[in-house]
Amino acid sequence: MVVASTSAAARRRAHPGLLRLLTAVPLCDGHDSAVVTINLELARSGVEVIYLGYHCAASAIARAAVQEDVHAVGLSSYNGGHRVFFREVLAQLRARGAGDIPVFGGGGGTITPADARAMKRDGVDRIFFAGTPLADIIAAVKGGYARELSASARLRGDRALGRAITLSENGMRGPGGSRGARRAGAAGRAFVVGVAGPGGAGKSTLIDELTSRFLRRESDGRLAILANNPSHPASGGAVLGDRVSAIYSQDDRVFFRSMATRGSLTGLSPAAPAAIASLRAGGGFDLVFVESVGIGQEGDPFGVFGRGPRLADAVLFVLAPHYGGRIQLQKIAMLNGADLVALNKCDDPMAHAARAEVAARLASNGRDQVLHTTVAARHHDGGVDHLYTAIAQLAGLETVASVAR
Amino acid sequence: MSYLGKVADAVDAYNGFVAGEAARARADERFGAELRARWAGIQASVEQTASPTGTPLPRLALPQTDEPGAIAAYLLGQGLPGEFPFANAAYREMYLDRPGGGEEPMRLFAGLGLAEDTNRRFHYLAGHQTSTRLSTAFDGPTLYGLDSDHEGVLGKVGEGGVAIDTVEDMERLFAGFDLVAPNTSVSMTMNAPAPAILAMFVAAAKRRFGADCVPQLRGTIQADMLKEVQAQNEVIFPVDASLRFLGDMVEWCIPHMPRWYPISISGYHIAEAGATPVQQAAFTLSNGFAYADMFRARGLDVNRFGPRFSFFLDCGLDVEYLVLGRVCRRVWAIGMRDGFGAGPKAQVLKLHTQTSGRSLIAAGFKNNLTRTAVELMLSYLNCTNSCHSNSADEPFTTPTEEYVRLASHAQSILLEETGVFKHTMNLLSGSPGLLALERQVERAILDVFREIDALGGVLPAMEQRYQRSKIQEAAHRFEEQIGAGERPVIGLNRYAGAGPMPRVALARTPPQKQRLQVDRLRAFKARNAKRAPEALQRLGNVARAHGSVFAELLSTVEACSLGQITACLSGAVGRFRPMV
Repeated sequence: MVVASTSAAARRRAHPGLLRLLTAVPLCDGHDSAVVTINLELARSGVEVIYLGYHCAASAIARAAVQEDVHAVGLSSYNGGHRVFFREVLAQLRARGAGDIPVFGGGGGTITPADARAMKRDGVDRIFFAGTPLADIIAAVKGGYARELSASARLRGDRALGRAITLSENGMRGPGGSRGARRAGAAGRAFVVGVAGPGGAGKSTLIDELTSRFLRRESDGRLAILANNPSHPASGGAVLGDRVSAIYSQDDRVFFRSMATRGSLTGLSPAAPAAIASLRAGGGFDLVFVESVGIGQEGDPFGVFGRGPRLADAVLFVLAPHYGGRIQLQKIAMLNGADLVALNKCDDPMAHAARAEVAARLASNGRDQVLHTTVAARHHDGGVDHLYTAIAQLAGLETVASVAR
Repeated sequence: MSYLGKVADAVDAYNGFVAGEAARARADERFGAELRARWAGIQASVEQTASPTGTPLPRLALPQTDEPGAIAAYLLGQGLPGEFPFANAAYREMYLDRPGGGEEPMRLFAGLGLAEDTNRRFHYLAGHQTSTRLSTAFDGPTLYGLDSDHEGVLGKVGEGGVAIDTVEDMERLFAGFDLVAPNTSVSMTMNAPAPAILAMFVAAAKRRFGADCVPQLRGTIQADMLKEVQAQNEVIFPVDASLRFLGDMVEWCIPHMPRWYPISISGYHIAEAGATPVQQAAFTLSNGFAYADMFRARGLDVNRFGPRFSFFLDCGLDVEYLVLGRVCRRVWAIGMRDGFGAGPKAQVLKLHTQTSGRSLIAAGFKNNLTRTAVELMLSYLNCTNSCHSNSADEPFTTPTEEYVRLASHAQSILLEETGVFKHTMNLLSGSPGLLALERQVERAILDVFREIDALGGVLPAMEQRYQRSKIQEAAHRFEEQIGAGERPVIGLNRYAGAGPMPRVALARTPPQKQRLQVDRLRAFKARNAKRAPEALQRLGNVARAHGSVFAELLSTVEACSLGQITACLSGAVGRFRPMV
């Protein structure tokens, strides 16, 4: 069904069947060399690979498989214990109503033929033994797991929501998603925060840190993250690796979806508006972060200047001190349009000067834009706490004042 | 320019100095005569020996020359074995036969099941050696600082290494070994949780040998967090906190454990993750210089910490491995002397080598015996100070006794049975081919240093994923080369047809043992339920106040498990955010 094609038109036609796979390395295993190589090869052959990283818990793997609505899960296991671990992943998938997602695996020679037979009896779809040529693995995966993911009223919760977004991505349903998705939770009052900024400013880390604040401060409720990343311009595939470093977002109170831009140059997946609508409509979310790909000076992924539909209730613009000086700062359109601005990486020696320049730039807008200074990479950063408080207030979330400092 | 650029410049400057001195030796008659006289003295001091068949041999082979330029180039450019810049060897005689024998370089890595299982394997290995040189592999949960009762890890308990949760496990692990004997040394392949594990080791030793045994404890703990972030991925805490805990441990070990090497700067995992030999050497050395820079910034004296560094390289089958150890010793010595002002003891790179696990394959696995034998030969040609030889069955199991014995005997055959290494130092060094390779490899290493330097040094380069992406690219190229048949692997892409996978014995940890470990851990926690919270509170406070976490851990481990300690420290400093 999926064909490695180089023509853009053929690629667009192929989208309904675009293969999405989740790959990961099991808990207590850091051997990622093989899986990284395979991820790259798969992306080059037009597959969207959602990579969860190494040292992954079975529960995190199953949660990701459901939310990402993948065609299959591939696990690369090297340091033993694979029989128990794969069984646990299968059990977790079944518990999440996703027992139909095939699981395949491979790794070092520690998985013996006898293990593979036992694992197959447990429900593992296929094991690739050590020494299988890369090309054979790619061909088998593409041939074996491509199938159309269709709407199903039987799907529940995150599974239904994940499928609704898949259908949007494949252009099969309009905004709102499937009925299943609408049933997934109480009608949402989701407050959608668009997060934009140049590549390397630390958007993903900041969103994960804000998520950790949400989980700590709000005793219940859910949060969603749509992480947009570019598709490979030639192959149409992608390695979507945002989950690897989203350490606090591995939580059942968080719905995380990785989206590839699939040729769109707006900074978001073409399906992002529909996905946002699905999240608003039915997931029971209090807060939604939509992360754009890294944008340039003119980028406006969330339509704050009225040239497109306004997709977010508030926009957070994130930049780092190395933006290239005052003149460059003048040219960044989003500094006019954003509701919240975060100068991240403020432990950088350039941060002091940058802070004054950005503050002056914002003051000239004559809008009520507060500049937040953050070090998202720092544990318990006070600047991130303040930024979260600001977002929570905009979103109308109740927050415990005592934690705010 | 960071320390790394300065090191690269220092090596270039040193090479220029050697060339200048060689020219001066030729031009300046008095200098030439001095050198000739010194050379004659060195030649006269070389002792003679003989092979078992009666061929007379010198114990040190020197270039056949009396031309002053060549003498200068040799003495300054390579150095006699044991002399700056140490290209030939860290010490004068290395593996040569001597009356009474020395401590053999073989050190075999082992770890499986529970502590008592690994203890049994240690005793088995020690029976094949005159000294007691133990090397410990830990299981996945221990490497990630998790307890055996942590959610989801049960199947991994005792797999691929030994499960250690508490100081009591550590006591079981080394039961029956005289840890304070001069010829006993213990190596532990442990990184992120290294401070807690070393604290458990010290506490266990104190319980058996008394509180004043600590200065006698001899061995190494890997504790190389930079290579973990770059390649091996066993990281728990954020990088800055990880390095701070490491610094606390090193700082404590310098005065209190004079026979302990508290860090083993490792290229092995960098190479296993896919790095080329040059990348392995360049990243490992640059990490070493980064640690030196870091400890210097902590106020430590290079001549106190420098001698306590040791290194660990992978030896594979690519041609660069003929000279990798030699080049690394040379670059390290020059860099430490001229870049860091280090004295002689802090200039010597002490090297442990392991044959390449990645070069071993499951198909026709007995060929792995040959691969390992060749790699052993290359390792000893590089005058490694200690060496682990892999077992042929490693592609599919924790080594079984049969193949461990073969791996161990391979080293004995090479060093004891063959005459290659026991009669003459420098038997093969100095050939035109080796010298040409050394020059090329050294040049390539300096190029990588300068790339890293341009990114701001090792840590900023690491944040930018420089090392990771280089390693990943190399790994990908390696697989492509195998796929395309450009890199022959016998039995895989050439002369394949070894038939179906052999039926082989597997060393696995049965579920009842895994449950036993969990039961023991829970009993420990129950016994210490009153003391643990207070100990953890103290540990957390020390970590938050930037006190010496290692000094505190020495008492924490008396009441707390590894997992409790990890959770406490994570609470204080946060968690590592992994990189793709």
